[in-house]
Amino acid sequence: MKNYASKWIMQRLTAVILIPLTFWFVYQCVILSSYEYDQIRTFFFSKINASLFFVLIMSMLYHAKLGNDTIVEDYVTSHNLKIITKLIISTLTYTSMILTTISLFYIISS
Amino acid sequence: MNFCKKNILIRYKVSVLLFKMSLNRPLSPHLSIHKKVLTAVFSIFHRFTGICLSLGGILLSVWIILIALGPSFYSKFQTLSSLIFFKIFLFLWTLTIFYHLYNGIRYLFWSYGKMMDLSTVYKSGYVVIILSILSTMLVWISI
Repeated sequence: MKNYASKWIMQRLTAVILIPLTFWFVYQCVILSSYEYDQIRTFFFSKINASLFFVLIMSMLYHAKLGNDTIVEDYVTSHNLKIITKLIISTLTYTSMILTTISLFYIISS
Repeated sequence: MNFCKKNILIRYKVSVLLFKMSLNRPLSPHLSIHKKVLTAVFSIFHRFTGICLSLGGILLSVWIILIALGPSFYSKFQTLSSLIFFKIFLFLWTLTIFYHLYNGIRYLFWSYGKMMDLSTVYKSGYVVIILSILSTMLVWISI
């Protein structure tokens, strides 16, 4: 029970974090859409941009994981299928998180 | 004696059937049996857009990985992004982001028990649709 309550709170917390960051990122995407590769890379050289993007993508992926888990719990009846789907969701989430972190650090340090 | 055996057999079969039914019981939101009201449609669309956006989140991390890998990999993304199909996809993505964002703000108010009377629920629902269309138009005009 405690676990579900903390998940519920985390979903709301990540949602609140994502509200301003989504507006920021959509605004940046409008600018980035006309940029070439080197200009996009220099966008991430800025410490503020890189850390905001990091927070955005981490809370987005975690929020997505919590949401998808809830959907699976609500609609998937078969116990085995539920476990398999949840396993796929968490694998995709954590792989994306790790690879994004490595890529961002690589971009910043280069 | 024969009748009694048959009775026991039937009872056994019924209990097995009930057990099997309990394993395959339908869960909470019975999408197919209820009349579609506006709030339910909003909730279903919120979940549907949520699934689409989580795929979008994975695509976003693929994008950042391609940037890290270098210009030769990123050019593959650029050839893809020049297609008209990709532009339509991006347009739908923008609409999805704004719908999920504004509807999510509405749900955050509900989590605190605010704006929950029926007329406000319907009004804010229409506001969500209008705002998401306007924001999407604003983004695509400024590009």
